[in-house]
Amino acid sequence: MDILEFAWLIPVLPLLAFVIVGFLGSKMKDKGGIVALAGVGGGMVLALWTAFELLTTGRIYRANQDWVVLSSEYTLEMGIYLDNVAAMMLIVVSLISFLVVVYSLGYMHDQGPRRHRYFTEICLFVGVMLGLVLANNFFQMFVFWELVGLCSYLLIGFWYERPAAARAAKKAFLVTRVGDVMFMVGLFILFTELRTFNYESVWGMLDSADPTMMAFAAFFLFGGAIGKSAQFPLHDWLPDAMEGPTTVSALIHAATMVNAGVYLVARSFPIIATSAEVSLFVGAIGGITAFVAATMALCAPKIKGVLAYSTVSQLGYMILGLGAGAFLWHHGHHVAASVAFGAGLFHLMNHAFFKGQLFLGAGAVIHFVHTEELAKMGGLGKYMKVSMITMLISCLSIAGIPPLSGFWSKDEVLAMTFEAGDAGLTFMVLWILGVLTAFMTAFYMFRMWFMVFKGQPNEGTKHATEHGGHKHEAPVSMLLPLVVLAALAFGSGFSLFIGDGFFGAIYYDHAHVLSIGERLTEVFTSPLTYISIVAAVSGIMLAYFSFNKTKVSAEKVVSKGFPKAMHQLLLDRYKFPVAYDKIGYVGVYGTSLLLDKFDRYVIDGIVNGISAFLIKSGGVVRKLQNGFVQSYATLLLIGVSFIMILLYVVGVLR
Amino acid sequence: MIPLEFVLMISSVLFVIGAAGVILKKNAIMILMSIEIMLNAANINLVAFSSYFGDATGQGFALFSIGIAAAEVTIGLAILLNLNKLRKTVNVDDINLLRW
Repeated sequence: MDILEFAWLIPVLPLLAFVIVGFLGSKMKDKGGIVALAGVGGGMVLALWTAFELLTTGRIYRANQDWVVLSSEYTLEMGIYLDNVAAMMLIVVSLISFLVVVYSLGYMHDQGPRRHRYFTEICLFVGVMLGLVLANNFFQMFVFWELVGLCSYLLIGFWYERPAAARAAKKAFLVTRVGDVMFMVGLFILFTELRTFNYESVWGMLDSADPTMMAFAAFFLFGGAIGKSAQFPLHDWLPDAMEGPTTVSALIHAATMVNAGVYLVARSFPIIATSAEVSLFVGAIGGITAFVAATMALCAPKIKGVLAYSTVSQLGYMILGLGAGAFLWHHGHHVAASVAFGAGLFHLMNHAFFKGQLFLGAGAVIHFVHTEELAKMGGLGKYMKVSMITMLISCLSIAGIPPLSGFWSKDEVLAMTFEAGDAGLTFMVLWILGVLTAFMTAFYMFRMWFMVFKGQPNEGTKHATEHGGHKHEAPVSMLLPLVVLAALAFGSGFSLFIGDGFFGAIYYDHAHVLSIGERLTEVFTSPLTYISIVAAVSGIMLAYFSFNKTKVSAEKVVSKGFPKAMHQLLLDRYKFPVAYDKIGYVGVYGTSLLLDKFDRYVIDGIVNGISAFLIKSGGVVRKLQNGFVQSYATLLLIGVSFIMILLYVVGVLR
Repeated sequence: MIPLEFVLMISSVLFVIGAAGVILKKNAIMILMSIEIMLNAANINLVAFSSYFGDATGQGFALFSIGIAAAEVTIGLAILLNLNKLRKTVNVDDINLLRW
C-alpha cells in the first residue's frame, strides 16, 4: 500500500469531523470534543505517516485533475503536490493542531454549549489549512487561503458579545483582505502570462516568461503574504487577534493562519528570485517587521500581547530568510540561496513549536490567574512548576540559546542575511536589525517569564491562590501538550543532524548536505554565531536585572524624557491602529461618501432626468388622444397624404 | 371604349366625396355611408384596371370587396343600433369616452 495515494484523506478527516460535529455536536455530551479529537488526530496520523514516507524516500507525489475547464487554454485544476516542504508543513500543522485540540478539551471545559461552535470551527480551520498545504497550484491555495481567513474571523470573534473581540475579528478579516486582493492580482498576472497555476509548470516556465510581469506577479503574491503573515505595514491585526480564546491564538500563531503566508512565499520563491528588486523588498519587509514588532513587544502590558508581537517579529525573520535566499539566488549564489530558503522554513518549524508551547503555557497561566495583565501576576512559579519549566525551555529557545531549536534556525537566517549583504548593502542593514531584534527578543521573552513566574505575587496571583481550591495546576490534558511541545521546542533543532539534515531535505534546487562535524564547525567557527549568542545572553541578563533582581528599575527608565515618549509610542503601537482608522475613515469612508454623492446626483440625476422628460413629453402628446373618432380619421388622412406626397416628390412613386 | 383616365377621375371624385363625408359628417350613419362610397371608388378602380389590362383578377377582387363591404356594414349598423340604444344618440361628437 502506498500511503501517498491516501494523502487526500489528510484534510478530509478533519473536515468530516467538522461536518459531524457541526450537525450532531450539540447533542453530544462533550459537545463534539471527542469527534474533533478523532478527526484531527486521524488527520495527524496520516499526515505524519505521509511526511515520513516523503522525507525518507525523497519522492515527490503529484496528483491532479481538471476542475474548471474554461477552454482548452484556460483550465483550472485541483490536485495534490507533495514534496519535502509540504511534508514539513504537514508535520507542523497537524501535530500542533492535534495538541491544541487535546489542550482545548481541558481549557474550554467551562464554556458549556459554546464548545459545540468552538470544536466545529477548529475542525474546519485545521482541515482547510491542511488542504492549503496539499494544494498543487496557486489557485487551489487561494481557495483554502480564503477559508483559513474565514475561520480565523470566526474564531477570533468567538466571544462575539465582547465588543473588543468583534472588533478584532473584523479587523483581522479586513486587514488580511487587503493582502488577499493583492494575492488575487498576482494570480491574474500569473494566469494571463503563463496560462497555468500549477506550481511546477509555473516554476518551469519562469525562464521564458516576461521578467517584468513576473516581478509584478511576485510582488503581488508577496502582498498576500504580507496580509496573512502580519508583515509590516499590515501587521496590526495580529495583536488584536488576541481577543480570541488562547487556544485559537496558539493555532493561528503556531500552526495555521500566519504560516500560510510564509508557505506562500516559499511556493512563490522561484518567482520572487527572478527579480532582485522584489527579493530585496521581501527581505526588507521581513527585517523591518522583525525589528518593529520586537520593539513593540518590549513593553506590552499583556502576556498574550508580548507573544503576539513576538510572533510578528519571528515571522519577519522567516520572511527575511526567504528574501535573502531569493536575493542570493538572483545573484548566482545558489548553494547559499538554498540554505537561506531552508533556514526560513526551518525557523517556521521551530517557531511553530516554541510559540505553540508559549501560547498554550500562557493559556494555562491565564486559566490559573484569570487575568492577562503581566503586572497582576508574579510569583506563579510556586504553583505552576510544569508550566514554568516548559515555558523556560521555549523562552530560551526563542531567545536563541544553543543548543535549543531557535538558536539553529535564527542563527542560520542571520548568517544568510549577512552573506546576502555581500551582494547588496541593504541586507547588511537588515542583518544589523536582525541582531538587534535577537537582543530584544531575549529581553522581552524573559521580561514576560520573570514577571509571570518570579518576583512578588501581585493581586492576580493573590486572588487566585487565596480563595482556596484553585492551587492545583492545569489538568493533564492541558499539561501534556505543554510537555510535548517543550520537548519539540528543545529538540526540533537537532533535525539538522538527522540523515542529510534539514537543509539536505528542505532546499531549493541545491541540497546543502553537511555531516554533523562539518555543520558544527561551520556554525561555531563563525564570529556571527557568537554575535547573536552575545545579543541573546545580554538580553536575558538585562531582563534578569530589571525584572527579577530589580537592580535596574524599568519604571524609572521610562518615567521621563525621551524614554517616556518612546514608551508611550510603543504602547500606542507606533500609532498604527490610529493610522488604520484614519485611512479607513478619511480614505475609504471619504471616497465612499464622494461616490455616494456621485451616485445620488449624477447617476440618479441622469436616470430621473430621462424618465421626467418622457413623462412631460407624454403629457403633451396624450392630448391628441381626445376620443373623437373623426379627429383620428383626419390625422390619418393628413398623414397618409403627406407620406404619399413625400414619396412622389422623392420619386419612389414616379 | 371609355379611356381609363375618365374612370379614374370619377373614382377619385367619389373617393374624395367619401373621405370628406367621413371627416365632416356628424351623424354616424352618414359616416358609414361615406365609407361605402370610398369602398366603391376603390371597386371602380379595380374593375377599370381589370378591363384595361384584360385581366379578370381585378373583377374577382371587386366582387370580394363588395361582399366584405356588406358584412362590414352589417357590423357597423349593429354597433350603431346598440349605441343608439345605450346613449340615445348617433352623433359622433357626443361619443368621446375613449380618451386620455
